[in-house]
Order: sequence, then C-alpha cells, then structure tokens
Amino acid sequence: MRSSVSYILSSSTSEPNMSHPDYEQYSHDHAALLVLVRHIGSQLNPNTFLKFFDRISKVSKVKITDSTGQVRSILIRYVKAYPVENNDWGDFQTHRRLLGLISLGKYDSQQELNEVCRVHESLKVKYNTTLFDSTCILFGLTKETTPEPEGSIDSTSETTLETFTTPSNFKTRALFYDETSPCVDLETQLNEFINSLFWVLESKRLERSREKLERVSLLLAPFEKKDFVGLDMESRNNKKRCTGRMTKHLGDLCLQAGLLAESLAYYTQAAETLKSVNDWLWLGAAYEGLSAASALVLYPEMQRHVPLQRNASLQEGSPRKSSQTPSISTVANRKLVANTLAPEDISKRYREAIIHYSKYQNAGIIETEASFKAARIAVEQNHALQAASFLQNVVYINLALSEQEKIQRFETLADLYTQIGFQRKAALCLRLAATRYVSPQNPAPNWSRCYTLMLQCLPGHHLSLDPVEMRASNQGWPALQIQLLQELVVAARRTGHSALATRHMTFLLQTMWPHLSPTEQKELAVQLQSLSAQCEGSPVPLVLDSGLVVPPANLTDIPICAAFTPKDLQPHLRPRRIESLKEDIGPFLFTPIHFGGGSLERKQNKENSKMDFLWVENEVCEVHLKLVNPLPFEQKVSNMRLLTAGVVFESVPETVVLPPDVPTSVTLSGWARESGELELSGYSTHALGVKSNCRLRHMPPTSNFPPFYKVEVVPSLPILQVTTSLPQSASFSNFHDDNIVTSASISLYHGESAHCTVTLTNTGQVPIEMLEVEVNSILDPCLQNQVFKWDNDEVQQQLPIQPNESITVTLYLHAVANFLAPNMPVSPSIPHEMSSGVFSSMSASLPPGSSLPSRFNSSFRSSNSGQSSIAGGLTALFQQQPTSSSIEGQLRLRYSGSAGLEADYCRICSVFFMIEMMPSLHVTNWDVLPAETSTQFYLVLDVANLTSHEMELQYTPTKTMLIEGQESCRVPIPVDRCPLSKLSGLYEEESKEFDGKSNVDVNEICSEHITDLVNLRWSVLSTDSEGVASLKGISLTSSMLDIVRMSPLDWEVKVNGGVVKAQEEVTCEAGDCLELEMSIENSLEEAINQLTLSVQFYQDYENGTTNYKMETRLAMAGAPKKTLPSLEPKVKINHECNVIFFMPGLYKLDIQCCAPESNIDSGANLVQMGHVWRFTPSISIHVL
Amino acid sequence: MAVCVAIIGKDNSPKFFTALNPDEELNYQYKVLSSLDIVEEKLGVGAKSGSDLRELYLGMLYSLETHKIYGYVTNTKIKFIIIVDSTNMALRDNEIRSMFRKIHSEYADTVCNPFYIPGEPISSKPFDVNIKNIMTGTV
Repeated sequence: MRSSVSYILSSSTSEPNMSHPDYEQYSHDHAALLVLVRHIGSQLNPNTFLKFFDRISKVSKVKITDSTGQVRSILIRYVKAYPVENNDWGDFQTHRRLLGLISLGKYDSQQELNEVCRVHESLKVKYNTTLFDSTCILFGLTKETTPEPEGSIDSTSETTLETFTTPSNFKTRALFYDETSPCVDLETQLNEFINSLFWVLESKRLERSREKLERVSLLLAPFEKKDFVGLDMESRNNKKRCTGRMTKHLGDLCLQAGLLAESLAYYTQAAETLKSVNDWLWLGAAYEGLSAASALVLYPEMQRHVPLQRNASLQEGSPRKSSQTPSISTVANRKLVANTLAPEDISKRYREAIIHYSKYQNAGIIETEASFKAARIAVEQNHALQAASFLQNVVYINLALSEQEKIQRFETLADLYTQIGFQRKAALCLRLAATRYVSPQNPAPNWSRCYTLMLQCLPGHHLSLDPVEMRASNQGWPALQIQLLQELVVAARRTGHSALATRHMTFLLQTMWPHLSPTEQKELAVQLQSLSAQCEGSPVPLVLDSGLVVPPANLTDIPICAAFTPKDLQPHLRPRRIESLKEDIGPFLFTPIHFGGGSLERKQNKENSKMDFLWVENEVCEVHLKLVNPLPFEQKVSNMRLLTAGVVFESVPETVVLPPDVPTSVTLSGWARESGELELSGYSTHALGVKSNCRLRHMPPTSNFPPFYKVEVVPSLPILQVTTSLPQSASFSNFHDDNIVTSASISLYHGESAHCTVTLTNTGQVPIEMLEVEVNSILDPCLQNQVFKWDNDEVQQQLPIQPNESITVTLYLHAVANFLAPNMPVSPSIPHEMSSGVFSSMSASLPPGSSLPSRFNSSFRSSNSGQSSIAGGLTALFQQQPTSSSIEGQLRLRYSGSAGLEADYCRICSVFFMIEMMPSLHVTNWDVLPAETSTQFYLVLDVANLTSHEMELQYTPTKTMLIEGQESCRVPIPVDRCPLSKLSGLYEEESKEFDGKSNVDVNEICSEHITDLVNLRWSVLSTDSEGVASLKGISLTSSMLDIVRMSPLDWEVKVNGGVVKAQEEVTCEAGDCLELEMSIENSLEEAINQLTLSVQFYQDYENGTTNYKMETRLAMAGAPKKTLPSLEPKVKINHECNVIFFMPGLYKLDIQCCAPESNIDSGANLVQMGHVWRFTPSISIHVL
Repeated sequence: MAVCVAIIGKDNSPKFFTALNPDEELNYQYKVLSSLDIVEEKLGVGAKSGSDLRELYLGMLYSLETHKIYGYVTNTKIKFIIIVDSTNMALRDNEIRSMFRKIHSEYADTVCNPFYIPGEPISSKPFDVNIKNIMTGTV
C-alpha cells in the first residue's frame, strides 16, 4: 500500500509538524464538533471530574432545527486534552479544530474562584484561534439550602455567590453547581452550549459557501506554508488548487453541520478538482472526507466502544462484531443521499487516501490516523483482512514520536487486532508495547504497565496462568511462550512483585519443562532459586490489585518423580479378614447381569486404582518415591509430605538431598488417624525455595500415574512380638512364608521330646482379644499333632493381652520317627513291593497242605511298614535321608483386638520351627517266637544304636541293656499275645463291610497291640538325652500273626498221652508207635465251617529244604485229614491217630486247620477264608 | 531462497520449524505465529465462499520490510509457511508454489512413516535435510 515514492514529495522536516497522533479517532469524528473538557484548579476531586466528564460525554448527539426547519443531527466529541499544534491542522480537516471549551473547577473562597476563572480565561486564549464558545462549570461550597431546581442560572449563582463573584474580566458563562446535588439542568445547559456552537459553525459555513470560489485564498496544511512561497498564485493550476481545497473545506464544514448530502457533493467535486492538479495531500483528504461521510450514512450506529477496564476482565475469544446486515433505514439513507460510496468503495478510497498521504513525510500522523479510521470501518464491515492490512500499514509509518505515543500506537493496534480476532497479532503488539515501556530509550520506564501488558498477551500465545489448563491444552509455540514467560518474570520482579516473579518462574518450569534444553533448565532453576530467596513460593493463589487471580504453580519436574508406590505393610503386620462363612452367591461363578450398576462400580474401581491392600489406623504407612534430580547440581528437597484426601492423615516431613541425575528412593510415611478410605493424591515439596503441591493428576502424562491412589484404612489392630526360648535357625528353607517373624531350631534324636516357650508380647496400642494358634507344616495332620503339641486352653485363658504385656505359650516338640528299619528285606525271595502288600493274602493263596516257603521268610523278616499310613510321610523322608532329617513347621498366630476385631480384621504372624531329627536307634529285624506260656510270645528285635554314643536301652520295665555306638544287639521282649477280644471287636464292627480288608486290619490290630505294649526307652548318656522308641507300624506276616494273636482255635495236643509243651522235643525210637491226640476248641463266638484238620510229618534239613515225602519213613494209622463241616463255638473236637517211624531221624509234626476258601457263602466270613491255623510251634520228634 | 519454513498442525501448534540462520529462529517464530491469524482468516473466508478446494496455496500472507511470508494449507488443515527475504526479487510466485508442493510431498512422505505419531512434532533428520535443500533450492 505504501507508495514507493514515499518521501519524494515531502519537504524538509523542519516544518511545523503535527506531532500528537490521536489514535482513538473514528471516521465519524470528521462530523463531530470538538469540545475540550478540562479540569481546572486543584480543588476538584479527579473522580468527580471523571464522573462529570462521563455525564457530559453522554450528550454526544444533539438534534437541532435549523433556520429552514430541517433537523440537523450534530455530533460532539469531547476530549480531555488537546494539543494546540493539532489545532493548526484545522484548515486541512476542520474537525481538528477545537470549537468549544468546558472547564470544571471548584472553589471555596473568592481567591480560588478568581484563580479558576483566570485559568479558564488563559485556556480560552490558548485556543483563541478556533474557539467558538466556552463555558465554565463551577462547584461552590456545599450549602444547607440547595438551589431551587427550577431556578435559572442567574438565580442559582445569586444564591450561592452572595459572597463570591466572578472577576469582572471573566466573560464566560459560568454554571454554578453544588457538587453533591443532582445538577438536573446540566444537560439542558449543555444543549444550549452546543446550540451556540452550532449556530456559530453554521454561520461560518454559510459565510464560506457564499464566497466566490474563484477568489478564495489558498488553504494550507501547516507544513505547506513554505512550499508556496514565491509561486505564482494566479496560475490556472493554482486557482484550481485553491478552488479544490476550498470545496473540500466546505465539505468538512457541511459534514460538521450535519448536512451529509451537501458534504458528499462537495467532497466529490473537490476530489475531481484536486485530482486534476495533482494535489495529492488534499486529494487524500477529500477522499477521506468522502469515505467518512459515506460511512456516516451507511453505518450511523458505529460507536466508539466504551473503553472498558481492561485489566478487570480479559475476554476470551474473538470479540469480532457479528456481521451486520445493513438495516433497511441505512439502505434507504443510501438511496436518499447522492454520491454515497458503496461499502467496498469506502475502503478503496481510504486506501487511496493513505497512499496519497504517504507521499508526505509530514503527513505521517494524518496517515496513521487515517489508517486507524479505515481499519475501524473495516472492522465495522467485518472485513478482517482489510482491517489487518490497514493496521499493518500503521507499523511502517515512520514517525518521530515520543515513547509514550509509540506505546499507545501499539496498544491501539492490539485493541483493533483483538476486535478482528487476530489474537496472535494483538499479543505481538501488546508485547511490543510492553517492551517499549521499559526500553532503554524510554526516559520513564514503567514496569508495572509493562507487566500488565505482558499479562494481556498471554492468551494470544495460548498461555493460561493456570498450569492445569496448560497441561490440558498443550499447544502453542513453546519457544515463544518460554520467552514471553521469561519476560513476564523480569517484569514482575522489576515491578517489585517478588511473589509474582517466583510464581511465574515456577509456572515456566512446570509447564515448559519438556521444551527447555538442559542448560536452560539449569539456568532457570538457578534464577528461580535467587527469586525465591526474595520471596518464597507457596501453592496459594495470588490475587493482583487488578483482581486477577494467579493460580498456584508447582514444580512437578524438579525433582522428577519416576515412581510413586504406596507400600503394603510388612507381611506379618498386614490386616487379614477373619474368615467368615462365605456368602451364598448362588451357583454361578460369573454372571453377565449386574444389578444396580455393579459393573460400573467395578470399572470405576479400576480407574480409581484402588490398592489391593490395607493400611491400619495409627500405624506407619509408607509410600515409596523414586526421585530424579534433573539439574546438574545437588539439590535439597525439604519438607516432603504426602498429599491426601479422605480420612485424616498425619504426614511426616522428609528432607532429601538429591545428587544430580541419579534416581533416589525416598520413603514418605505418615499415620492415618481414622479408618476409612484414604486417597493419596500426590506429595508436596520444598525445592529451590518454592513450596509445591505435586499432584499425580497434574503430572506429565508420560509418567502414567493414575489421578490418585486409594487405600482402605482399617481400624487399629494390636501388634504381636514373638520370641522363643530356642535359638534361631540359621536359614529358612524352601517353604517360606512372608509372615514369619522369628525362627527356632532344635535337634532331637528320634523319639526324643523337648518343649519350647514362646513369649508373646503385645507391642501395639490396643489389647489382643483374639488369639488363635495353629501349626502348619507339610506333614500329615495327625503326624503333625504328634510332633507339635500345645495347650490351647492355656492360651485362651491368658487373653486378653494388654498393651506392653506378654504371655507365654509352651510348645511341646517330639521327634516322631519310624524305628523300624526300612529297605532291608532279608530274604531275596520276597520282592520288596510285596512287603508293602497284604501278607495274609499271600499265604492264603498257597494251597493248603503244600509246601510253605513263607515259613522261612517269616523266620526273621523286616519290612517297611508300608501299611502304616501314619508313618508314610516319615518313611519317605527317611528313604531320602536315612541318617538325619529335618522337619519344618510354622507356628501360626492369628490375633486381633479392639476396633480391628469388630471390623473383622486380624493379623497373622508365624514362627518358623526347624527340628532336626537324628536317628537314635533302629530296629533292623524282628521276629516273634512262641513263649513258654501260650498267653505270651517273645518279640525278638535287632536293635541298632545309630548314634555314636553309648546308649542305655530299657526294653522292659526291669531290663536294661547298654549298646555301644553304631552297634546293634538282639533283645527278646516278652509280650502278651493279642487277645481275641481285641480282634473280635474288630470283626464285629467290620463284619458287614468289606471282607478282603479284614486281614489287613488284623495285622494292624496286632501291630498296634505290640506298639502299645512295647516301649523301648533309650537314653544317650553322654548327651543326656532320652526318648522312647515305638514299634509303630511293625508289620507281621500271617505266620507271625498266628503267634502274636490268640488263636481262635484252642489247641491241645497230646503225644502218648502227655501234653506237648512248646520248645519241647519228643523222643522215641524207630518202630515205636506214637499216639497223637489232639483237640481243637473254637473260642470264637461263631461257628467255623468246613474246617479241615490235617496232620503232616516232614523233615527239615536245616539247609533251606524240607522233605515232605515221608511215605518211606513212617506210617500213619488213622486219618491224616479230617473234615469238620462245622465247628460250633465252645465245642471241642478230638482227633486221634498213630504214627510209626521206620527210621531214626529228626521229624517234625505239622498240625494245621484249614478253612477252605470256597465256603464264602457260609456265615463264617469273620474268619479269613482259606486261612490256615497251625499248632505252633511244630512238634519235633527225635526218633532214635 | 527461503529463509525459514514452518509446518503448523491443525491446532496451530508448531510441528516443524527450521531457519537457515538459527539465531534468527525466534524472530521468525514471531513472524510465523502472527501470520497464522491471517491464515485462519483466509480459511474462514474461503469456507464461506466455497472456493476451489484444490487450491491449497494461500499466496502472500503479508510482507514486512525485510521479509515476505507465504502460506499454504493442506486439506487436513496442516499449514506450511515460508518466509522469504524481500530483497530477493528473483523469486516468483510460481517458484514459491512449487516449493510448497515439494514441502507438501516431503511432509506426506514423513507422515507415512509408521513410526511417526500423528500430531507429534517432526524430528526426522532426513526430513530436515530435505526441507533445507528445498529452501536453498538445491533440489
């Protein structure tokens, strides 16, 4: 737009220059009468003046009926100051002439009244050249009697000026008012004043219009005076120039006098004339006038917008005017008034005018003002781009302006840019204005204005002072934002607002952190440190004088929080639910149907990131933080606390010193003082002299923190401290529980017992009212009960445990072991797996009467006690570690008390027990022998001392034996035979159940019988330990069983009439006839059916072979077999036979009763089918 | 040729910014930022008049004493801004246009990179080199 020929036509700069631009001008002001309203004298309160100025300003449009009866609409513009120099441009554009003067003053004495009058008069002199009329509003003393409202001016002045009168040389109309009175007639007076102005103007206009256009003198702009010196004024060109200028002048006057149509005509005419003589300056003026007049026609409502208090509220968004469609009246106006420009032409004309003005350096201010006026019209027309180009032009105009005026220029530009919605441009202008306020050229730097303007340009850079908002809408230009914020900090500091400076710097560091380079980060941090040294930053909103609230900013990145994890309590302190019966939730584990928004609730919980553990009231709760100091120097962060919501929480302040760039773990702790839900929302710091509340929800999104953590706090619970009388174990083993608080270890020989005193101390604040003791181990429950024993009643009696009191619980430990040697089958003929099988079934499978290899096997067998399910676990243990083994167990204590108990919470702690079990003695082999009496039998044991010490073994109440370490010896123990009553009881119980098992049970019963009766008491003399070995789980073959238990058949065998005793040998000679007499009595309660009694001789060669083929060596008279269909209880049956031996030798007689397997259907299933009862021991006959 | 190229996202935050003279970058940023007002205005007006959608070139946004600023907007409202030294009279409108087209295709190539997260500032080094080449006219 700016012409390239600018300055070409301009004259030297020494010319008088209009140096005071009026940026506030509207094009409508071309039509206004300029009135100066001045505050004179020192008495008048400035606020009162402003109040009256506003009131006067309201009279900005007056309708006056002229002499022809036409109603003229007169505009008035009131200004508070007007430089006289600008008055000089009155010829160029008449609206620059000051036409009226209103001065306001106050007096309370004659002297002051005189002074006020004098000032008024001097003002009149100052603007003498252009002034049409003046008036003076005087405020007198406040009097009791208020002037009569209907009283004329004179009467008013008379009443108040009884003592004071205006000086005689005071020629002005004076209006006397009481300051506090409503001054009802002020508007009327003003109207009258304006009327007088109008009439003077009208007369001038008429005077001018009557002048002959050919004769008029040349009108000059102030700087043109020299240009025309010596020129031929009579030339045709100059004549035309005079005419043109005068026509334009008339246009101006008509416009002011409210004659739009006439003015338009004049302007059009002037433009044509001036164009022909290349009078650019005045042509520009004519165009401008034309545009202004047209604008007045088209947009009569265009208003100077009320200068609102800017600081109070910065409107967000574009205050752009809504596109107004020209109302019907304006369209009508346009039709009525000829020569009106079309809306688009107004801008075009303005543009031309500005180009013409730009050719003159001295017309710079005119050009600037024209640009602003044009921009305002463009705004009115809603042509933002046009307005922008006009405004852009303003910047290029090089004017020798004072700093203050330059600032004003930028402020006005910013204002207009804001109006067209160019926020960024407005921000730029505001920032420039702000820097101008404090530029080195500015003689009077004003930091506070600078700060205010800086604040105003924040929205244009997408900056908001609220860090939360900034985080949310992370957009804008970081580089520029950083610079702006830095400038803001400087401005705030220079203004003297240290608090604000600290706040802004904190804000800068918080929001711009990711965009700062490491060096910038460091520099800014150092700056912040020095700023905060003057005024410490704290997280409270700051309120400026203007009412603007600066929200708190927090250093969320210094230090950087890399992790924030609420910590669960230590395992043994964790509250657990006291198990209650599970509520019946129906047969479905999962249902897609949720009632009452249950599903929503669940989702919410996930989002709320509720922790799955509990904290306890009045106990230390911890949150682990991992902090990284991003700055290259060591940094001290003090007063770190947790920020919480929900229940009352007492946080412990922490201070850490963070080395650069190394993650540091910090634990923040505190106590919840209530039970309920605790919300952990972040932490507070005091770093770099700034107190910050770093809330997780405001953390940078990269750190992925939930907005807060929720932890349930349960009512207070007691704390139990546990000690034992045993030494601690060196190591916990594989089976590890978090709850373990202490451990105890002991070494026991198998069979040894010990006790352990467990001391429980309540170290908490509340009494323990509930205590449950139990032992956990991998052992079978019943075995475990043998190893660990305690008295639960004793425990319960000692409750409750008051705080700081203790109780003791005695735990009895016993090294249970299987003393029967495992894995040592003597006979290879019996496979090992058979040993764990059912022995009797094996023997039953042998056909009765056939050879019985099992007899050998039974001679001295040892067997794994596979039948014993009790010892099974231990056996397995032994098989792995035959020498020594260990048992691990946990004494688990569940306790609770007070409020925690009511809320169904308890704590669990456990003591780890490690019992090392060393082998003491072992029964490697065992056998049974019939004793001399039939009520007893001998249990013969091979006992091995597995210790390395001498051991005393007491195997019967009266007999003891010493065994050397690692040696074994054989002991016979007389044991009562297992009475039938024991067995029969079993039979009766199990008779209706499963038949096949009964033999096992017989075995078991016999085994138990032995176990009960035999106790091997041992004591190791050197270690002073003693214990009892039991034969639990001893297994017996069926032949052994026959010896162990009382036979159901009572035998009586007589040889040659004499009763055979056990272990006795019968001697006879070959050829002698031996008379065998035997009787059997059923001592059972039931009959035995199909019993076969058989008598058989054989020879035992003592080398493992037996010879049953006796046909050649002896002969039997009588039946060797006898079948008894039924043997009723208590019935005795006799059988007799004779035998003759042919050859001498050692013979044995085997007498046995056999119940065949086939008669299952008979009722005698109590007795094993197919079982064989032998008369034991077999009778030896020595034949000589 | 061009002294500065800027790519601005649809939310008017910078996606890429490069200047031949790094010291001037901040100044250019101010210029580009204030030119966005005009771009927005032009887009708003354009939408009203329903002008040719295929014309992405906005022309000169405004000229300063030392620089001229040109704009170009893709259909996805990504703005390309070029700052040209006003003393460089040799540069014609057509050359500016072709420069914009080259930048556009370069931009499209970069955005096609599956590792580029849409909306993030572009930090690709080859892209920077290519744009610099376009600016200096070596391509």
